[in-house]
Amino acid sequence: MRARRVAVRAGTSVLVLWGALTLAFAALHLTPGATVDAIIGSTTVGPQVRQQIIDDYGLDRSIPAQYASYLGHVVTGDLGRSYQLHEPVTAAIGARIGPSLQLTLAAVGLAAVTATTLALLTARRSRVVRGLASGTELAGVSIPVFWAGILLLTVFSFQLGWFPAAGDDDLRALVLPAVAVAIPLTTMLAQVLREGLERVLDEPFVLTARARGMGDAAVRLRHALRHAALPAITLLGWMLGMLIGGLVVTETVFSRQGVGQLMLGAVAGKDLPVVMGVVLLTATVYVVVNIVLDLVYLAVDPRLRTTA
Amino acid sequence: MRTTVPPIALAAAALLLAACGGGTSAGAGSPVDGGTLVYGVNNEPINLDPHASPQDVTASFARPVLDSLVALDAEGRVHPWLAKSWKISADQKTYTFRLRDDVTFSDGTKFDAEAVKANLEHIVAPATKSQLAASWIAPYAGTEVVGPHEVRVTFDRPHAPFLAALSTAYFGVQSPTSLRAGPEALARRIVGSGPFVLDAFTPGKGVTYHRNPDYRWAPEGAAHQGPARLAKLEFKVLREDSVRLGALTSGQVDVIASVPPANVARVRADDRVTVTSRQAPGGVYSYYLNNQKGPFTDVRLRTAFRDGIDFAAIVKKLYFGVYAPADSPLSPATPGYTKVDRKYDPQAAARLLDEAGYTARDGEGYRVKDGKRLTVRWPFVRAVVREQRDTLAQQVQSEAKKLGFDVQILDLTQPEYLERVPSGDYDIADLSWQRAEGDALGNLFGTASIPTAQRWGQNIGRHSDRELDGWLDAALATTDAGRRAALYGQVQRKVTAQAASVPVYVYSAVLGVRKRVGGLAWEAQAFPTFHGAWTAKP
Amino acid sequence: MTAALVAAPARRGRFAPGVWAAAVFLVLLAVAALAPGLLAHGSPNDADTMAALQGPGAGHLLGTDANGRDIATRIVHGVRPSLLTGLGAVGLAVTAGTLLGLSAGLGGRVVDEIVMRAVDVLLSLPNLLLALVVLTILGPGTVNAVYAIALYLVPGYARLVRVQVRVIRTSGHVEAATSLGLTRLRIIRRHILPNAFAPLLVLVTVEIGIAMVAGASLSFLGFGARPPDPEWGAMLAAGRDYFSVAWWVAVFPGLAITLTVLAFTVVGRRFQLRLEGRTA
Repeated sequence: MRARRVAVRAGTSVLVLWGALTLAFAALHLTPGATVDAIIGSTTVGPQVRQQIIDDYGLDRSIPAQYASYLGHVVTGDLGRSYQLHEPVTAAIGARIGPSLQLTLAAVGLAAVTATTLALLTARRSRVVRGLASGTELAGVSIPVFWAGILLLTVFSFQLGWFPAAGDDDLRALVLPAVAVAIPLTTMLAQVLREGLERVLDEPFVLTARARGMGDAAVRLRHALRHAALPAITLLGWMLGMLIGGLVVTETVFSRQGVGQLMLGAVAGKDLPVVMGVVLLTATVYVVVNIVLDLVYLAVDPRLRTTA
Repeated sequence: MRTTVPPIALAAAALLLAACGGGTSAGAGSPVDGGTLVYGVNNEPINLDPHASPQDVTASFARPVLDSLVALDAEGRVHPWLAKSWKISADQKTYTFRLRDDVTFSDGTKFDAEAVKANLEHIVAPATKSQLAASWIAPYAGTEVVGPHEVRVTFDRPHAPFLAALSTAYFGVQSPTSLRAGPEALARRIVGSGPFVLDAFTPGKGVTYHRNPDYRWAPEGAAHQGPARLAKLEFKVLREDSVRLGALTSGQVDVIASVPPANVARVRADDRVTVTSRQAPGGVYSYYLNNQKGPFTDVRLRTAFRDGIDFAAIVKKLYFGVYAPADSPLSPATPGYTKVDRKYDPQAAARLLDEAGYTARDGEGYRVKDGKRLTVRWPFVRAVVREQRDTLAQQVQSEAKKLGFDVQILDLTQPEYLERVPSGDYDIADLSWQRAEGDALGNLFGTASIPTAQRWGQNIGRHSDRELDGWLDAALATTDAGRRAALYGQVQRKVTAQAASVPVYVYSAVLGVRKRVGGLAWEAQAFPTFHGAWTAKP
Repeated sequence: MTAALVAAPARRGRFAPGVWAAAVFLVLLAVAALAPGLLAHGSPNDADTMAALQGPGAGHLLGTDANGRDIATRIVHGVRPSLLTGLGAVGLAVTAGTLLGLSAGLGGRVVDEIVMRAVDVLLSLPNLLLALVVLTILGPGTVNAVYAIALYLVPGYARLVRVQVRVIRTSGHVEAATSLGLTRLRIIRRHILPNAFAPLLVLVTVEIGIAMVAGASLSFLGFGARPPDPEWGAMLAAGRDYFSVAWWVAVFPGLAITLTVLAFTVVGRRFQLRLEGRTA
């Protein structure tokens, strides 16, 4: 029974990867313009060079043929070479995955800790406390990350000189971008968590616990949080997957290398192998995160075990 | 083979050179040997190999590493560099260069005639996929090694811009050993004989260089001779304007490219920082009106659009006086530039529109003819916009409305734009075209340079005039600077008379520089060079 | 239920002044969206270079931008495209996401698998890629940005609704209702939907802001609202170039976004309490 569940899960995971690749391939071919023109750009090349580019990348083949050959290569572990970056896709992604992963984990971690603390401290408190918390959070959510980045840099880098303005060489350079990314994440998480907490704090078993003389802090930490965490965990998992390839704005503001930057350029330049490579990466991260999440759900909320 | 120079002698020499040198920044005190200079740039190359890449920024990243055969000064005069001297044959088709025999690439390879041949052959080889350099020597026939340090380059027809092309970083001489590594390796690593040696280029972050201690072959007339003063040089990519500026004012970088015009006054007021600028050569930022299709085939409409809007006033206000309003299709920094008079005259423009039949106005105030509104379409790619050109376009759109034009800005993605322009389906297109050579006019107005589905070109106004083509060809066929200037003067006057384009502003490279920095110089293409630069770290 | 009774006094007060203020603000927004001419004179796109970057004051209440356009006028005229971005994207996403989540949560195992794998595929693509590809295919602009943003919000809602539905379906009162013999549709309508919606509603009010801000980020990348449309996100993105010399160009559109998000949240929360008061 267990083995069968694992097999089904593996099968659907592969299905998701294939679906993502196919969708991305189709979508990229729907974008206007010929690939060879995107590679050449607004520059003057002779017909010879143009033909060389078409031959090098097999751009004169039919789209199904290109699709089939791409999938064939992927299955054998070959992601191809970038049309524009003059390097293999694995090398292009490999060079950028580190900084992206660092920033993603730092931001999500920061957001999870801050949001949990905030929610625990403010759930079912006085109007003033809650109002203050929501107000701050709403201000946080309505600031685009590029603005948060610019403001943080202005104060903490340009004025106070605590952190460098750019780069990804040391941990100090990670602080400001992580904070900028974490602000909206914290807001979303805190809202969902507080909502969950307030629900749980109304439940009979919490009253029972209180009646047995359990302290407020213990009630919140030992009982409420565990039950309120479910939607927040869903959100967290979603954030992880979303961020790896989605940090382009932060990467631009803080001059960090990253997968987002790579993809922005690749979409504009119809650099198909790179786009597909990034899709494969994020889809894989996504599939793995979700398997982990499902296990976490079961651990956190025993009620799900009956149906899962 | 490192020669040791006593530090005192070195410092004395440096002082002497600084006294007579042509550095751009003032107030940096006496030159300092050693140290690291960090240059914050707003853009980075996709490909480091200038033989292949068309980007301005590639030239600026490659320049510290690569020397050229000849050097161009601010007045457009050509000076010896890796070539000691040259002769041009009577039919102007053959160039014979005598080369320096004391130059070594930083990988140990000797510089010689074979190296020059390898470089030119590399540029024209289809496998290089050259997107710019090859087009600048289109009539190239071949290179012949005459002796170990003598080389002969031949063309199918006279090609006067050859020396100017050679002086650019796009023709920077690379080590033949390194060229053999192939296009993918060159995209990330180039090896030359320049004052700096590339350590690493990391896309998204920038590039680091260290000093080439053996460097003894700076171009004739350069302010600084001998090895670079800086021990290390770093280009850091800081795309966001406010971040680049903040990094400069907080002292995290020494020099930045592209200070936003709105901030120039504020930066000038900061007593730790100065601003220095230089006009870029080539075609100024212009609106090219489609001469081939649509309403702008009528010279009256083109003239009305150009003279009925006060472009000079808009430019002065929007760019805070940092960029000069253009007074010719060419920038004043281009050899062969001629100022052409034209003036803002909305009454005359209105009369021309009346004459052309657009006498009535519709409910929204746009002019109409036979019930058809005077609509012009302008494809625009916002994602790659520079210098607030989108803000400028909105301003022009608003001013054109007063004149009666309905300017429609078509918001396109880059691939859409690249498809639309060769098809000719637009009325206005905008472009600035940097090239330190009068033949920029040939790119911008020559019939052969009209973009088509097979071949991109810069003549996006799709202007075609046989007399003009004749002058442009004649200017390519002579190396007589006076004769060329006269021909290019005629071209500029004629395209102005025909209102083929609307010159808008002269792009200037605007650098923000910490006052501790000295000895910066300019390349003819208007980017800074660092051979003689120093920085006095606090 | 005991819990609801205990909580009732705190929850069911009269409308607080904050709620009133928020409601009035939303009404103003509605007026501005329907008839901006009532609240501001002149056209939002009339440029006048000579009046560029003037500070807030008598002539221009909130100052002018780099094109000399009146920022107050532009903010008023910007309500429509900005709300379109925020409400449009979230509305589209909630509708599609709820339908998907409900069918997955309530349907059989096969339906659940198919829907969730499709959602997975969508979710596994980086949202930025989705947005960029959509905007590259359809072209940049406000309406297309709405589709792009909605597309990457949909999967989140679908998953959230599904998880909620599953939790509620197995919870006490649904089981009780089932044993009482209520019809399936009635159970969905009376018990599952309202309970699944409560956490959703929190997310919705927040995500109206997120969507507006996403619009701003797309403008930052050059793919957002079409200039000279006075969409707030685009104004905010454009204002960053002038921040150190003319703070008002960015600050007022930013403030407009914040206040709008705040108003929606305050009113949304009130609405949510009523919803719970009815069902708990």
